[in-house]
Amino acid sequence: MDEAVLDVIRNIQDLPTLPSVAMEVMTLAKAPDVSIREISECIYRDPPLATKVLRVANSTFYRRGSQEIETLHRAILMMGLGEVIGITTSVSVLSLLGARDSRGASMRASFWNHCVATGLIARRIDRKLGMKSQGRDFVGGLLHDIGKIILDGYFHDRFEQACELSSRRRCPLHLAEQEVLGTTHMEVGHYLTRKWNLPPYLVDITLHHHHPDKAQFRDLTALVSMADLLAKARDLSCCGDTPPFVLKDQEAWETLVKLGYPMDGLDVERITFEIEDIAQEVEAYITAASEAAQEAAHG
Amino acid sequence: MADYLASPVPQMTDETFWLLRDFVYEHSGIYFADNKKPQLENRLGLRLRANNLPDFDKYYYLLKYDPQAARELRALFDSVTTNETSFFRSPPQIQAFQEKVLPEIIERRVADGGRTLRLWSAGCSTGDEPYTMGIVVREVLKEAVVGWDIRIFASDISEKALKSARSAQYSEYTLRSVPPEIKRKYFTQSGSQYTVNEEIRSLVDLQYLNFNDAARVRLMKGFDVIFCRNVLIYFDDEAKKRFVAQLYDNLNPGGYLFIGHSESLHNISRAFKLVHFPGALGYKKE
Repeated sequence: MDEAVLDVIRNIQDLPTLPSVAMEVMTLAKAPDVSIREISECIYRDPPLATKVLRVANSTFYRRGSQEIETLHRAILMMGLGEVIGITTSVSVLSLLGARDSRGASMRASFWNHCVATGLIARRIDRKLGMKSQGRDFVGGLLHDIGKIILDGYFHDRFEQACELSSRRRCPLHLAEQEVLGTTHMEVGHYLTRKWNLPPYLVDITLHHHHPDKAQFRDLTALVSMADLLAKARDLSCCGDTPPFVLKDQEAWETLVKLGYPMDGLDVERITFEIEDIAQEVEAYITAASEAAQEAAHG
Repeated sequence: MADYLASPVPQMTDETFWLLRDFVYEHSGIYFADNKKPQLENRLGLRLRANNLPDFDKYYYLLKYDPQAARELRALFDSVTTNETSFFRSPPQIQAFQEKVLPEIIERRVADGGRTLRLWSAGCSTGDEPYTMGIVVREVLKEAVVGWDIRIFASDISEKALKSARSAQYSEYTLRSVPPEIKRKYFTQSGSQYTVNEEIRSLVDLQYLNFNDAARVRLMKGFDVIFCRNVLIYFDDEAKKRFVAQLYDNLNPGGYLFIGHSESLHNISRAFKLVHFPGALGYKKE
């Protein structure tokens, strides 16, 4: 990696930091014997965060029954600990790095559209393959490209050059980034997720989503890698070239085959048709998460 | 009995929509995404009336359990396929053909030194599709087109459709997806009618062909790209498998097959590589 760029990133004073409670939840979640009470009490110590998490849990996106979920305790019981920690992570990151931020609005909008789409598609495939990732599928998809936000925010012109180079040369964005910036969004994302003390699976996904076979959490990383491609095929990409691809020839697919998932039975055409209107779902999710953020801020 | 005819078509619940959607996909390979619910409701609404049924649950029951189900299935297929055809239909597919597939094939041909292109519009109906293919080829090759030997075979089973295709005359409506500069370049307008210019017509070879005529279909050799959109639905599973295997043989190595925008070969063929283009799927023979 280009030490110059990494040094600059290390020394950025105003590099976004996650709220301390969010960080603490991540740390708690790593403990094998963490209780529902510990987690919910921890989140409650940041009331605006707790409000946002409950709002998202009650949005049409997550809500199953007709009864409103009024406490975090209940949310964890009904949705599972993994899902609630996932929502806490997504809401923290989304309100920190603003899906509806006005700065560089169009890049940001397409960035979050791509990330939410990747999360939603990962969630669908997770269910079809019976992987039971418990919300880590969605959060992994949501955050896989987080390094791009930093590159775009702090090295804006050079990042744009890399995007143009990728389109012009029809090469993957990370190769263009390497050439122009001397680093990639994967390396930057890797640095950021470690700095934020995010769970190891997220550190893994940000670094290896283009080479899932190298990951430690190979199944989750491969899942997100596949979802990333399918989101791009749906024209929900952000910056860089989107070449045609054969899903079954991808490293992600081969990794999942090796891990013994029933890939032969996966109806890729059907998944592709199912996600045709994913843009509407993406919009609904971003609205729910942003409204949650805004209302909590005003409340 | 007359009550049903007079009353508006009942609403389809989400649960029934999912059941019917899965049923249609399983039997026809055509997928109705969640946002296509009104479309399915509309199409099947007609079948509901024709069968004099009060709601979609009863219709699903008929499809699933009634001894007459096979006959109804055919009628259902007719109502879910739009017979309507138009220029530049399913734009992402045409875009994939124009921006990815043709350049790839042309590059390979140039390297080989053999400047031929063989395309087939299988089930060409009134000609919108093969003429669109011709326009796209002309747009991609530009002036270099003169150095190429290009044939676009266009076949259909309907003499009436072929006759209309030969006249090459179209209404404004059929041309609604055609960019204005393309309209100016390749059509001659006379009142509200547009006629395809000779330059494009000369590329297209219209022929009667029945896909059940296996011997003749086998003779269709050496194609680079086949468009066979919304045709497979008329075959049962066995016939579909045979026909698609035949189309595979009809293609050159490196050639592509495009089927209808939301049609699937998942249970029909594993011979092709499924290629994801932006917003469209294609099937490649390696």
